[in-house]
Amino acid sequence: MRRELDSIEIPGEHEARERTWAVVSVALAEREPTPRQSHWPRIAVIAVALLALLAAVVTPPGRAVLDEIREVVGVERAQPALFSLPAPGQLLVASDSGVWVVQQNGSKRLLGDYREASWSPFGRFIAAVSENELAAVEPNGDVRWTLARPGVRSPRWAGTEADTRIAYVDRTGLRIVAGDGTGDRLLIPGFRGDLAWKPTNSFVLAFVTSREVRVRDVQSGRLLWRRPTSGQSSIHWSTDGGRLLVRTEGTMRVYDERGRRLASESLQEGRRYVGARFRSGAREIAVARVGPSESRAYILNGRQLGTGAGSFQDLEWSPNGRWLVVTWPTADQWILVRASGREILAVSNVSEQFRSRTFPRVEGWCCAP
Amino acid sequence: MHWPRALRAAYLVTHDAGAAEDIAQESFLAAIRALDRFDRRRPFGPWLHRIVVNRAIDWTRARRLRSEVELSESLDVAPDPIDSPGDTLAALSKLSPEHRAVVVMRYVLEFTPGEIAEALGLPRGTVNSRLRRALDALGGEL
Repeated sequence: MRRELDSIEIPGEHEARERTWAVVSVALAEREPTPRQSHWPRIAVIAVALLALLAAVVTPPGRAVLDEIREVVGVERAQPALFSLPAPGQLLVASDSGVWVVQQNGSKRLLGDYREASWSPFGRFIAAVSENELAAVEPNGDVRWTLARPGVRSPRWAGTEADTRIAYVDRTGLRIVAGDGTGDRLLIPGFRGDLAWKPTNSFVLAFVTSREVRVRDVQSGRLLWRRPTSGQSSIHWSTDGGRLLVRTEGTMRVYDERGRRLASESLQEGRRYVGARFRSGAREIAVARVGPSESRAYILNGRQLGTGAGSFQDLEWSPNGRWLVVTWPTADQWILVRASGREILAVSNVSEQFRSRTFPRVEGWCCAP
Repeated sequence: MHWPRALRAAYLVTHDAGAAEDIAQESFLAAIRALDRFDRRRPFGPWLHRIVVNRAIDWTRARRLRSEVELSESLDVAPDPIDSPGDTLAALSKLSPEHRAVVVMRYVLEFTPGEIAEALGLPRGTVNSRLRRALDALGGEL
């Protein structure tokens, strides 16, 4: 019996060990006493830490942030640099200095002076935009092709191994181009809004204006359904394509693939949603919301994931759906939260790490290479 | 040293590679957090593995109780398919999590029946009868 049980193969055992080591080593490092050094550097470090602490405590916002960090993650647990990601995959980050790819081991590469980006369906390429150019870029920074377009934004890449499309918006409206940069065409003239490909093998695109959300088969041109909405909205599909989430600052609505409304939630005045995403591989939704004095991240109809003083910016699930990153400009931190809410890792000095004056945005956490 | 057995124990109880990784990882972290309370004269492995098995049983029970409803916190990542079940894994999957746990503790973690009883908070007779029934069932399947 022992031999039989020992011979059973566990899928992904080696990778699981690597990931666990990355997380456990951080926890172990926090326990280990700091090696003894000469007195002067220690005194200098203590002095700097005290000054920083004083600066944080004497100003009201600083005090709020400090208290909240202690309560939520603990100052001691915030890592000064991003050493590694707790789940497989690569992060795409947009900062003032451009778009960056962050590997699981924490190494970063600046792709170029782009403003916005998104992953191709299998994470092999990145659709990146600068002021007047759409580009297909490899994760090592090599540019495959570019397309000059005025005021380009919101690139979204979808498709199969053999056939892909990029939907994007420019000054003329919503446009579609093939993954190799050919066949660029205008789909919706004058469009201003958000868009999201349904993650299936067919090219079904959802797009939302300030008045309605529409879902359309791009190849046949058929409008599959439309529903009214109001205000600026963002949209996201569940990874199986069975649910569509439409979020404004004050409401969230979930539709099935035929456009039937399944759920909705509204916020009280003074609060606003800043992020909501379906968990990878599931229909559970993580939400980030900002209130008058604090922000909350939670699972819709479920558990709390964390609170923090000031404003959260957004959140993103890891590709395996077991972790999510909550971005927190007020504290200049990323909070990596296990989906169960039981484990939290924090990374501080995010802006400096991405050479940015403004707080960087996480544009995607994509598939492991 | 303790990781392979922790992961294997969790996997054999849950039959879900993702959950097993989470359980083993969280058990390590829980153990690290509780190191100050740990009696260092005792071996670390059994202490850790006891945490792992109890969490794996809890997870498996919870999954059985969960019914999938829209937008509920109970929706979870779909369990990984068992790619190549093999006779033993398939046979094991037909046992209850409690019966799986005693088999795993006895034959993977090499606990004695007395140690299993202590770890699971059960009378020793219950452990013996679960072990006997589990082995009978596995023998029948295999």
